[in-house]
Amino acid sequence: MRKYFKPIPRRKFLKASLTGGVIVATLPVWKIFSFTDPPQDFHVNPACNLSKETLEKLIKIALQRGSEFAEVYVEYNVGNQIYLEENKIYGAGRGVDMGVGIRVLHGEKTGYAYSDDLGFEKLKQTAEVASFIAAEAEVKEPVGLKAQKIPQYYMVKVSPDSIVPKDKAKLLWKANSVGREYDQRINQVNVSFADTNKKIIIANSEGTWMEDVQTLSRLMVSINAIEGEKRSRGYAYKDGTLGYEHYDLKVAEELAREAGRIAIAMLPAESAPAGEYPIVMAKGHCGTFFHEAIGHSLESDGIRKKTSCFWDKKGKMIASEVTSLADDGTVPGSRGTINVDDEGTPGQETILIDKGKCVNFLYDRLNAKLMKAQLTGNGRRESYQHYPIPRMTNTYLLAGNDDPEEIVKSIKKGMYIARIGGGNVSWVTGRFVFSVPEGYLIEDGKVTKPLKGIQLMGSGPEVLMNIVMVGPDLEIWGGGTCGKDGQGKPVSDGNPTLKVSTITIGGAKV
Amino acid sequence: MDYKRLAEDIIKKALKLGADEAEIYLENNRDFELTVRNGDVETIKQATSKGIGLTVFKEKKLGFSFTSDFSDQSVDEFTKKTIQLSEVADPKPWNGLPDFGKQETKDLNLYDSSIAEIPNEKKIMMAKEAEKIALAYDKRITKSEGGYFGDSETEIILVNSKGLSRSSKRTGAYFGVGVVAGEGNDMQSGWWSSSKRHFMDLDNIENVAKTAGKRAVEKLGAKPVETQKAPVVYDRYGAGAFWYGILFAMMGDSVYKKTTYLMDYLNKSIAPDFITLVDDPTIPRHVSSVPFDGEGKVTQKNVLIEKGMLKMFIYDTIIARKAGVKVNTIAWRSGYRSIPSAGFLNVIIQNGTVDRDKIISEIKNGFLVTGLRGIGTDIPTGNYSCGASGFWIRDGEIAFPVDGITLGGNATDILKNIEVVADDLDIRGGLNSPSFKISEMIIGGKK
Repeated sequence: MRKYFKPIPRRKFLKASLTGGVIVATLPVWKIFSFTDPPQDFHVNPACNLSKETLEKLIKIALQRGSEFAEVYVEYNVGNQIYLEENKIYGAGRGVDMGVGIRVLHGEKTGYAYSDDLGFEKLKQTAEVASFIAAEAEVKEPVGLKAQKIPQYYMVKVSPDSIVPKDKAKLLWKANSVGREYDQRINQVNVSFADTNKKIIIANSEGTWMEDVQTLSRLMVSINAIEGEKRSRGYAYKDGTLGYEHYDLKVAEELAREAGRIAIAMLPAESAPAGEYPIVMAKGHCGTFFHEAIGHSLESDGIRKKTSCFWDKKGKMIASEVTSLADDGTVPGSRGTINVDDEGTPGQETILIDKGKCVNFLYDRLNAKLMKAQLTGNGRRESYQHYPIPRMTNTYLLAGNDDPEEIVKSIKKGMYIARIGGGNVSWVTGRFVFSVPEGYLIEDGKVTKPLKGIQLMGSGPEVLMNIVMVGPDLEIWGGGTCGKDGQGKPVSDGNPTLKVSTITIGGAKV
Repeated sequence: MDYKRLAEDIIKKALKLGADEAEIYLENNRDFELTVRNGDVETIKQATSKGIGLTVFKEKKLGFSFTSDFSDQSVDEFTKKTIQLSEVADPKPWNGLPDFGKQETKDLNLYDSSIAEIPNEKKIMMAKEAEKIALAYDKRITKSEGGYFGDSETEIILVNSKGLSRSSKRTGAYFGVGVVAGEGNDMQSGWWSSSKRHFMDLDNIENVAKTAGKRAVEKLGAKPVETQKAPVVYDRYGAGAFWYGILFAMMGDSVYKKTTYLMDYLNKSIAPDFITLVDDPTIPRHVSSVPFDGEGKVTQKNVLIEKGMLKMFIYDTIIARKAGVKVNTIAWRSGYRSIPSAGFLNVIIQNGTVDRDKIISEIKNGFLVTGLRGIGTDIPTGNYSCGASGFWIRDGEIAFPVDGITLGGNATDILKNIEVVADDLDIRGGLNSPSFKISEMIIGGKK
């Protein structure tokens, strides 16, 4: 299992060491601008390498009706997938997307047009359509483009696109056989490997001009177990902005064992009791909660439009004093990691909640300008077919000082949330429901029997106030694809072991 | 460019390069969308896009690719690569293109040529108007999430090496608005919209806008109730996710793999005899209608649950062959980026005969669900536990708004406990249900 350990802030690390806290490994590459080149073995259709002259011409056309800002975004994206089920390679797939999106900003207005035809005439028309948003105003001369070097936070030596499906299939077969041998009660093993390889070029009227190659990969194992009437499922995956060098048979074996372990552990699970209980969230696997129930409400579009429950909370206490939350696009190799966002702003760490106080929001260019705030590198888009909006990258709760064992011991009756599953949240009210694919009962300070059907319910702002203990063991792990305004975007998240003093559990049992 | 010709050429090329069978799904789109907020245009987005998905079978092995790059050289490379992909898959006896015999598609009147000619000023006006009316609906409405208008035109071409050749053009127009009511810790949002194939069929702006306003205001002050057992009414616009939990359990693949709680219920009663559920994507002009499905099969009305009896599971051609069944259910396709899979397009639960207000008036203490958080159904076991919001019913009347509770039980029990169905069916989307009452459910809330 891949685990990215994030060093805890210096003052907290000292405290944790003094109290004999958990040893935290740090990555030596942390936050060092390495300027390593993107993988050379990913081949881009040359038609997508628009020249400096073409980019400058398009920017000029986009500005012709007198807007403040114009931007060209070029994308070439290759996706690969291979899937195993029922002891057979089901199939392999490949997809290519390419196109150009042109954006014009004029005050609060956005004009956007895109084309998948890269002929100059078509692109010219696209720039013209985008320009229509502006009212006739003084025409601004764009700044000449200057190529910019960007930092490198991805961990990619070998592009997964350069690996033939036959080789990827070996990982799938290994996970399949290990999964099936793990326990007799396992009746189904599904394994998939998927990667996307995206080259982007960003150029704008302020002279920004850069390119980036974004690689994402994921090996996933899903296992079903059956015993009499009882059924369960476990899954495990490794993913991130990772090259193929991070995958081998050993990784496949470990994932299969982990998925098998969860499926078998959850097989005897009993229905969870409904009611209000204290809970422990296990390190690394519950970050989705903070992404969904808190993070979205801290994105600047909802703040500017005053539709977020936190819109007027900057500088105010919105969480308990042990709670600090950050979004960080620079975690090496993580799924939400970005060298630059989709507007060309470098990825960065942004503290959103500092010891309970709301200190910052997540900005894209439009909202930062309208709100007179600093850019945070959170302007992201799914593809050239979308304009950027404020989005999270890797979102996590910062480490605290409480011993994880003591956190569990402090609960007489409650629940241990080993991992959080899918959720549903209203960003206006902050109300949420999350499912729990792996959860256990805590009795007299000990984790005891497995529970199924746990549903965590409540409102994000309430839970923030009820975080009473936080461990030093922050892990940023896994992630998924977050949907917002019809755009999907890869993100990751993380958390240390923590205790919420009370939360509503909606179970099937009264 | 003649896209049908291009599709046929790629098929020929694929066969020449060694494929036994090949299929092209080609999509050509024009999209427009604008948003307004606080009376001003905020975004305008306009584009054309296209793509092809190529499926090949070679020695019963499957390969699939898609691309939006239509240049000659790329298409050659693309075809070659797709066949190479099939070589890594394992052969399966059930792999291969579907065979429907001779079928004629019907004209469902899904194309409105006037949509392309609507001036932008008119579209902006509609979005602005919707926002203005929604904001003015009630003093407690404080913020706008924006009004919007969009329209699209889609051309689908589906050609395969077994001689199938289909094409269809569809349009769509939609508009809507979202507003927020309240302040501080008590804010609620309300959204409503209208989406049609023909511009002139769009709902009245005032009705859409007022519905959005009403939905925001009426939820203000929502709070959880105590944990208890009580009768529950699912509102017609809040019941969709509940039915998805039933439909997903009817997927043929899950039946074959024995991972659905409904696997043993074919031709058995799963609901009272006044429950009939159909998938009917053939209603003329309807937004969820299409002339042929993701495999090219001409669409028809399928009765999935008839008078309480589960009549069929949902298969695509390959899963049906594998399971050894013959069916006419829908093979759904999200677009050229994916291969077809079993699904449904326009589900309708048969209308009841009782007035909804009358149903509510007979409840002493109960819950009216207007919003569900997710599907809530665990497909292998049928365990149902779903976050819900709505209104508390006391002495036959709506008493106060409720949020932050869960509805619990088992899907099979819940279906059997449907006591009565209201007469308020409104066919407006892809899942259309009248309101209905469950005699008793577990409501999980405060201790």
